[in-house]
Amino acid sequence: MVQDKSVIKGIVLSDLKNMGGKYVANWRVFKPEINLDECIACGLCTTYCPEAAIDPREDKKPVIDYRFCKGCGVCANECPKTAIAMKKEDEE
Amino acid sequence: MPQDFDVMPGNKAIAHGARLARVEVVPAFPITPQTTIIEYISDFVADGKMKTEYIHTEGEHSCMAAALGASMTGARTFTATCSQGLAYMHEIVAQATSYRAPIVMAVANRTLGWYWSLGPDYSDIMPEMNLGWLVNFVETNQECLDMMLMNYKIAEDYRVLLPTMLSLDGFFLSYSQERVYMPDQEKVDAWLPPYKAPYSLDPTESDSWPAAGIPTQLHTTYRKIHEEVMEDSKKVIAEVDASFAKTFGRSYGGMVEKYRCDDADSLLVTMGSMTTAARRAVDKLRKEGENIGLLKLRFLRPFPNEELIELAEQVDSIGVVDRVVMHGTGGGMAFQDVKSTLYNTGIKVPVQNFIAGLGGEDIPIDDLYAMGKKTLSARTVRPVNPVHYIEHKFPGMPAPQKTNSSTCMHPGSDGCAGCGASIIARTLLNTLGEKTIVVNPPNCSGVNYGQSVKTPWVLANFAAGAAFQTGVYRALKAKGKERQVYTTSYAGDGGTYDIGLQALSGAAERGESIIWLCYDNEAYMNTGIQRSGSTPQFAATSTTPVGSVWKGKSQRRKNMLMIMAAHRIPYIATASLAYIPDLKRKIQKAMEVTRNGEGLAYLQVHQPCTTGWYYDPSKTVEIGRLAVQTGAWPIAEIDHGEFKLNIKPKELKPVKEYLDPQRRFRHLDTELVEIIQGHIQDDWDSYLSMDAQGKLPWY
Repeated sequence: MVQDKSVIKGIVLSDLKNMGGKYVANWRVFKPEINLDECIACGLCTTYCPEAAIDPREDKKPVIDYRFCKGCGVCANECPKTAIAMKKEDEE
Repeated sequence: MPQDFDVMPGNKAIAHGARLARVEVVPAFPITPQTTIIEYISDFVADGKMKTEYIHTEGEHSCMAAALGASMTGARTFTATCSQGLAYMHEIVAQATSYRAPIVMAVANRTLGWYWSLGPDYSDIMPEMNLGWLVNFVETNQECLDMMLMNYKIAEDYRVLLPTMLSLDGFFLSYSQERVYMPDQEKVDAWLPPYKAPYSLDPTESDSWPAAGIPTQLHTTYRKIHEEVMEDSKKVIAEVDASFAKTFGRSYGGMVEKYRCDDADSLLVTMGSMTTAARRAVDKLRKEGENIGLLKLRFLRPFPNEELIELAEQVDSIGVVDRVVMHGTGGGMAFQDVKSTLYNTGIKVPVQNFIAGLGGEDIPIDDLYAMGKKTLSARTVRPVNPVHYIEHKFPGMPAPQKTNSSTCMHPGSDGCAGCGASIIARTLLNTLGEKTIVVNPPNCSGVNYGQSVKTPWVLANFAAGAAFQTGVYRALKAKGKERQVYTTSYAGDGGTYDIGLQALSGAAERGESIIWLCYDNEAYMNTGIQRSGSTPQFAATSTTPVGSVWKGKSQRRKNMLMIMAAHRIPYIATASLAYIPDLKRKIQKAMEVTRNGEGLAYLQVHQPCTTGWYYDPSKTVEIGRLAVQTGAWPIAEIDHGEFKLNIKPKELKPVKEYLDPQRRFRHLDTELVEIIQGHIQDDWDSYLSMDAQGKLPWY
């Protein structure tokens, strides 16, 4: 019996694994903008971002990775300080 | 003759066919790309445009069983499925054969098994091909509608009485719009009289059936007779085609359709929607002076041997295009049939095979042109290798994106903006850690997040997710690693409440120490929002639409919590994406219980779905919160039989606050809202009394 991985034909798992994400910025109609002066670093936007596109910085305040933000607005809706504004993409 | 026509997808043409045929029973279960067939039919029924018993079955196995029961009790029966669903029906497909039940089933072809695609090839229908059904392939949406009518007339003819599969290519026909002429109902009624079963289960109508099987010695005889019947059906197919042409003005040629075959010295053989492109390729070759013809196989079972032999005598080379590989034989399905048909005739024409369009890849005119060329070249030089795989260069996957995300999931998925399922999946995986195996019965999350998680995530089977997971768990146990690695499901409500319930119940009863997480968005969202056992009463879904007759789903949802509690498993909990700390604690509890080998831990997490419930995507968490605050989704746990309501608002908010933002409830009037409010109050009261009581008595 040969059990050397190099002889295996046609198992594509290893080629597809850890694909990671796609850039989805072009899905966005509205873009969230965080007013960091009002932010109290509660972490709710990070918890609830459906895309995991919001990460805390060193001072615990959030930063949005816009490459992965679809503009759903959950973060703005959940922010207890209403410190996140949704702005129309083409009206900047 | 001028006639009214409409532009519609193939699935709608099929649904109209079922309506015009006055089908009496329609068992249904959704699977892409068949879904809109059963949705259009539910629209007709909801609006009183079609009088039929519509059965929302809990899985394809049940769906086919219901179809068989209905047909054997003398009702004209229609159902539709494809791919994994058709495979799941398999045993009953076989049974329908010798019960001689003239069911017509539309199969919106889709590839079968892992590699996974929603696109069409014939790997789903190939395993069903030889069970004794008539199998019919169609090329256009018009043919979809016409064959719905013709297939009933063929199948219900007492010289035939066989179930029939109508195979339409997924996407290329099922979802593509074409011009379709709609026959008059009156004309159809006159042409296709109601079905009268010769032997019905109904004791008021006829003799009953024998309960058990037939003596062994008779098997060969009856199989032989079945073959004779299939042979006889060829005549009926021709008759019905001619009679249809006379009444409705359209003819398809019966068993096969020949295109430019008269003086052909080479022949391309196709079936299904690829034929349209093949016609253009043949035209192009003809223009270049090549005498090539096209044979479209319309029925694969029975196989059109006579038509094929007649043409094979005339031509010097044949090329068969197959949208499937018959593994282990080195070629495709129709290829083997063509070769075996010709062998005993002594016709020595070279037959080549082109395998193309697998997994739903397009078969363009250029490819078919090249296949035609290759077929023509075999007239002079017999090919050494007769099987050609038509492959296209794969542009390659994009490189993984670099992100700062420290969670167990990469950002940037295919999920909808505002999807709640990812919030739950992320909480689950971050709590369980990287030494976790996720077993995923098909759902949105498999499609959207399966590729972006950092743990092993395996696509399991819809009906047997918990059994797959049991196998994983027992293998870990065999290796002594069951305390090092967690196994969890990431199942939807369909895979939990409905089609997956049997396997889940089995695993729970056996005491497998696995975590079952159901993210409950109250419908089959992956296939396009069809109702499930979890859909709340009156919710509009694509199979429980609102019309003049229906007011959304008429039944109340299953109480899965109590079903699981009846198994006396150590830990059961409901949770919500709006209450993450509570969810996290419950996942940790599930980890503890399974690590200790105490048995199955069941978590049922509420997930508002922006696409399926029709609300503003920014409200996903807010609606989740409202569900809890109104009592529509009680947050509870049953820890070793101890019942506890974890979140007890002093006063429940009126349920209207939860229902109003969701368009699936927009048809509700005050009366219906009051009914819902009443049920919530009753449930809440009983939960409160269980909470006060503590231990459930049967634990």
